[in-house]
Amino acid sequence: MTTSFKIESRKTMGIAAMQGRGFYYPFDLSFDSNNRIYVLGRGHDYDTRGCRITVMDMNEEYHGTFASFGTQDGQFMWPSSIAISNSDKIYVSDEYLNKITIMTTEGKFISSFGQFGKGDGEFDGPNGLVFDNENKLYIVDHRNGRIQVFDEEGNFIQKFSSQGTSEGNLYLPWGITFHSDDRLYVSDWGNHRIQEFTTNGEFVRSVGSKGDQEENILHPSSCAIDDKGNIYISDWGNHKLKVFDKEGDFLCSNRGEATLSEWAKDFLNTNVEEKEARLKSKLVFELESFKNDPFNESAHIEKLFWCPTSLTFHKGNLLIVDSSRHRIQVYNKVYKI
Amino acid sequence: MSSNEILLMAHLMRRVGFGSTKDELNKYVKKGYDNQVDEILDLEPNYEVSTHMINRYQPDYESPMGSSANGATWLYRMVWSDFPFKDKISLFWHGIFATGYAKLANGYVLADQIKMFSNYGLGNYQDLLLQLSKDPAMIIWLDNCESHKGAINENYGRELLELFSMGTGNYTEKDIKEVARAFTGWTIANKDYMTAKSQRDSVWPYGRLAMHFEYKEDDHDGDEKTFLGETGKFNGEDIIEIICKQKATAKFISRHIYSFFVEDEPPVPEWPYKKPNNPEAIEALSEVYFDKGYNIKEMLRFLFKSKFFKSEKVWNKRVKSPIELVAGTLRITKEFHRPDKEQSLTNSHTQFMGQHAMNPPSVEGWHWGTEWLDSGTVVERVNFSSSKLGNVNNLGIRKIIDNIKSNISNQFTPEFLIEIVLEELGAIIVSKTTKETLNDFVKSKIDSEKDLTDDNLSEFLQLVGAMPEYQRT
Repeated sequence: MTTSFKIESRKTMGIAAMQGRGFYYPFDLSFDSNNRIYVLGRGHDYDTRGCRITVMDMNEEYHGTFASFGTQDGQFMWPSSIAISNSDKIYVSDEYLNKITIMTTEGKFISSFGQFGKGDGEFDGPNGLVFDNENKLYIVDHRNGRIQVFDEEGNFIQKFSSQGTSEGNLYLPWGITFHSDDRLYVSDWGNHRIQEFTTNGEFVRSVGSKGDQEENILHPSSCAIDDKGNIYISDWGNHKLKVFDKEGDFLCSNRGEATLSEWAKDFLNTNVEEKEARLKSKLVFELESFKNDPFNESAHIEKLFWCPTSLTFHKGNLLIVDSSRHRIQVYNKVYKI
Repeated sequence: MSSNEILLMAHLMRRVGFGSTKDELNKYVKKGYDNQVDEILDLEPNYEVSTHMINRYQPDYESPMGSSANGATWLYRMVWSDFPFKDKISLFWHGIFATGYAKLANGYVLADQIKMFSNYGLGNYQDLLLQLSKDPAMIIWLDNCESHKGAINENYGRELLELFSMGTGNYTEKDIKEVARAFTGWTIANKDYMTAKSQRDSVWPYGRLAMHFEYKEDDHDGDEKTFLGETGKFNGEDIIEIICKQKATAKFISRHIYSFFVEDEPPVPEWPYKKPNNPEAIEALSEVYFDKGYNIKEMLRFLFKSKFFKSEKVWNKRVKSPIELVAGTLRITKEFHRPDKEQSLTNSHTQFMGQHAMNPPSVEGWHWGTEWLDSGTVVERVNFSSSKLGNVNNLGIRKIIDNIKSNISNQFTPEFLIEIVLEELGAIIVSKTTKETLNDFVKSKIDSEKDLTDDNLSEFLQLVGAMPEYQRT
């Protein structure tokens, strides 16, 4: 008897939108205790309206947006990650302003901490954020190649790791994930691997190796762990979702199977000309130029992942922030015996 | 003053790229001029900042939604490349096959076109025209997707002959129609959806989509055509083959190459009425065009090693285009050694100076030469170069200042300081008047080595950035 494992697309959520309902280069998301989803939009330099937080839920109900581009309290320049504490406070890292902003779930500014530097409590490009079950906040201080740990108020507790390529070192890390067995998983973007640490900062192991084959990863941005210890990786450079078992052996991959979200259907139903032209189109095809160039393929084929930046498990659903396609793809895992 | 070898190498590097520093020039001179030309033509560039690195921090630079990010991506490739020649070649073709965002509303297909110029721009001209005719950006820009069997749109056929190959006066109106007929069926896949998105500037539901060429046999006019005296059931490939063997094409493309790499020619619309600056050079380049099978790289190899290119008469005679000025300055200042938000703002300066990459004013592209200069753009150009060169916090400027201080040793004289500064900035040659102005400044501020402060040298570098010679290449 063999058990096969695969992941299946459940649905797609969101739509590209510079403002209002939708996202513009979303980078990350987090859930509050009421199951609302807070999607962090990066926006971009030439249209900063996308720099905001969009609030929605799994039924694709839209609950508004807050925050904006800028340097004032409650504003961001290059927001990169979002986490919500046990007490429902929102934390956003800004890798340009080198600070962490704390807000309420209604978008009211509470406080911020951090500044540029290499000292304790200082940052050079804060990226991934995650809370453990004791409400400690772990921050990927990516250009300093380390993880810094804070309490909920932003008081420094400890730090670990340093910049480098050896085991336990980090090079331009991006996302960070906490697993209930008191383990942290850091997406070591520059070293093309996931590194596992204890919450005390002791190196445990690394998973993945650089490459473009199925068992490889290239510049991972994020990872998530399921209840069986399987490791899901947003293989940002290969534009894939990869799954490894708890021993670190490759299980399966997915290139992306996006469908029309409810918001996308709304758009097409009110823009009939585009809808009709789209229905007549062949949106999936093969081109010679796709060989060894998944970026180019993703630019052409809409359903594929294009620069996935974040993975989150929530109530059995795996949510993948599909950044350059401005949407969230939702998957379920399926075991077949 | 720099040796003639250095000055010649500086001229070459300004024309094939965006200028070189003193250290680079010394290294290239040791290789020898002809070897350096061959390396430039034959080597693939390396980029200090990878595509992945750019995309991580500035996602729109590589998957552009809007009109400016693709230009910014390209500008920073020019800055981060060890040999930006291929990007210079792309810039050359972009000026001729000018295609713009205004009609396409899709940055990705424009970025794809620039990559195509980089891949095919040094090869056979016939191949390049073929790729151009299949390029989705061009197909939309000049409406070839709206040209059908029995209902032709002449736009692409006309510009292919007038602006992309032969120039006016070398074909008839009937020839234009026959070209349009031959290119019927050359369109883009999912044309209705792609053009609907472009026309509505739609990013919905999930952003822009890249496009690709599609040939529709059932929409192609396969009947007999007569073009430039030849008759047959021509398709687009046949038309391009006939175009490429015309003397007019050889001269037209030779004049473009001469104008971009040697000295400014008048704008293209004036070519039928004005002789080339150097008819012998155009003739010689045309011969190479035929002798080397329409190969652009071999035409350039001949040009860079020619007497007319090496002649001091053409040194510093071209006005830098805004992109050349900005890219060249940023290569000196080295301020963006990693992706930074300020890049986008800095890229915008090319637009303020009159050259918005991938958004030319019309199908004719930009008018080069002194037409870059008017009272507004001159102020913008001078302010930009002065402020950048005068910022001692920029890595490249810091190094230049340190070099100046160490090289001046105990030999300070105003003349020696001026010489060292001009060498450091890429062996710039200045007129007697400019030298007097620089000399006056030095005498008013710097009496001896102890006055070689950051502030004084910053002010001096700002003055150099404002000189007319810095605005030329």
